[in-house]
Amino acid sequence: MSERHRLRAILTLAYLNGVVPIRTQPLYLLNVIASPLSFLFFVTIASNGVLLDYAVGGGMIMMMLSVGTSLQTDISHYKQDLKFQDVVVASPVEAWVYVGGMALSELVYSLPGLAVFVFLWAINGWVTLPAALTLAGVLLLVWSFASALGFTLATYFEDVRETFVFSPLISLGLSVLPPVYYPIQHLPAAVRPFAYLSPTTYAADLMHGAVGLGGPTFTGALIDWAVLLGFTLGLLFLASVKARWREP
Amino acid sequence: MTSAIVAQGLSKVYPRGGVTALSGVDLEIPAGDVFGLIGRNGAGKTTFVRVAATQLMPSAGHLSVLGHDVAQAADRIRPRIAAVPQESRPLYFLTVDQLVYLYLRLRGHERSDARERTDRVLAELDLTSIAHRLVSRLSGGMRRRAMVAMVLASDAEVLFLDEPTTGLDPIARREVWAAIRRARRERRTVLLTTHYLDEAEALSSRVALLDGGRVRLEGTPAELRQRVRLPYRVTVEGVLTRGELEPYGEVSEVNGAHLVFAREREARELAMAALGRGARVAMGPVSLEDIFLQVVGRRLDDESPVEEPA
Repeated sequence: MSERHRLRAILTLAYLNGVVPIRTQPLYLLNVIASPLSFLFFVTIASNGVLLDYAVGGGMIMMMLSVGTSLQTDISHYKQDLKFQDVVVASPVEAWVYVGGMALSELVYSLPGLAVFVFLWAINGWVTLPAALTLAGVLLLVWSFASALGFTLATYFEDVRETFVFSPLISLGLSVLPPVYYPIQHLPAAVRPFAYLSPTTYAADLMHGAVGLGGPTFTGALIDWAVLLGFTLGLLFLASVKARWREP
Repeated sequence: MTSAIVAQGLSKVYPRGGVTALSGVDLEIPAGDVFGLIGRNGAGKTTFVRVAATQLMPSAGHLSVLGHDVAQAADRIRPRIAAVPQESRPLYFLTVDQLVYLYLRLRGHERSDARERTDRVLAELDLTSIAHRLVSRLSGGMRRRAMVAMVLASDAEVLFLDEPTTGLDPIARREVWAAIRRARRERRTVLLTTHYLDEAEALSSRVALLDGGRVRLEGTPAELRQRVRLPYRVTVEGVLTRGELEPYGEVSEVNGAHLVFAREREARELAMAALGRGARVAMGPVSLEDIFLQVVGRRLDDESPVEEPA
């Protein structure tokens, strides 16, 4: 497959699984935006607006994580129930093209929700070029590792119901428990080191710089980027060697 | 005769559960023709198709498609094949037209080519009138036809159709048959698995009978008839008892009539004798169903458990 054909396949999948279903049933969009907006609402109300900045940054991270969990459900359903993955395997489309297209299609669902958060980000006066670049970079990396994780897990499931078990656990472990929606200082000191096991802690740290919370020091930012990039590359590598494209 | 698919000592043991699905399968499938794989549920048909379509790794032996080994060079095979897996269903939010068109775009077809191929295949399979209907609102048979249309529209040289007509009504089956015949006219290779032996006989130049993960018989339907011990069937209704029929061949009872498998001479003698006694008689060469019964020892639709591995 030439690069042009690969790009065409990715865009076709994004259209096929992203644009077409939304046009058929626009309510799909609410599903993706519901959880991040709920958290934004509760965190802001409970903190009397003090944690709004954190909630906006956390909401964006959660939106990208939800791409991974949605991807996990879709890929598992298409593989087990519709045998769509088998149709694609027996075609020129390679595994990474399939994942790329499907991950892009899930991103399409997130765009309206993301637009809400970007609007909040903009009206709070946090828009600067470095902040925008940080925001884009963090979201890209979170989207990438969430997609790689979602795809890898989905290829091991034998029934789509298994995703109903893993998706909440992933959300809990990567966006609810880690200091994504709140400052890490709110965690008891004894628990704080565990928060650094989650890549989203580093993503949130960087994001804080982009939402007017000061953000990490230069060295801290370098460490955050390195960990986030390393985690993403690690999961992409894991997906390339462990995801089941062809059954063993 | 060039071969599109060649299996040598092919075996497949599923890692989970250790079930042996294929055991030392040797098979040569000629290029540019329709080849039928027949067998009961669990005989190994789908496993063979999935290994050949590069969806499943073999455990031992070799299988090559268009000259490339499935284990070593799947990437060279995949652009030249297309598959409709068993029990596959189209994405429910697509229309029939979108299903075919987007599949072709996914495979790399240019927009105008994909459009032209889509319109042509929908017309040929009599799907034009429902082209813009959501597949979720179609009957199971219609969805199946849409899936078949999808792969037939592609430029794949080898098509894997795993029970493509299961669940279709007789008219829809005939339309899919016509499409498969078109693929044969275009000199494409079609590997067809089916439960319907009339379908295998009507469409396939050659058939292989799989049972317990092994090829029990392979050849043209005419060759298979020559290879069975008792190549004629005589159906006798009334008058004659089982004991009177047994000297002529193997006797079984089907729907109240006696079915006798016999050699040609004995079949003729029996037919004459039965007619002389006023019985209703029908005689002819054995069907694929009869061959299956003789070789495997049970009917194709007999789902009772067997000791052999599934």
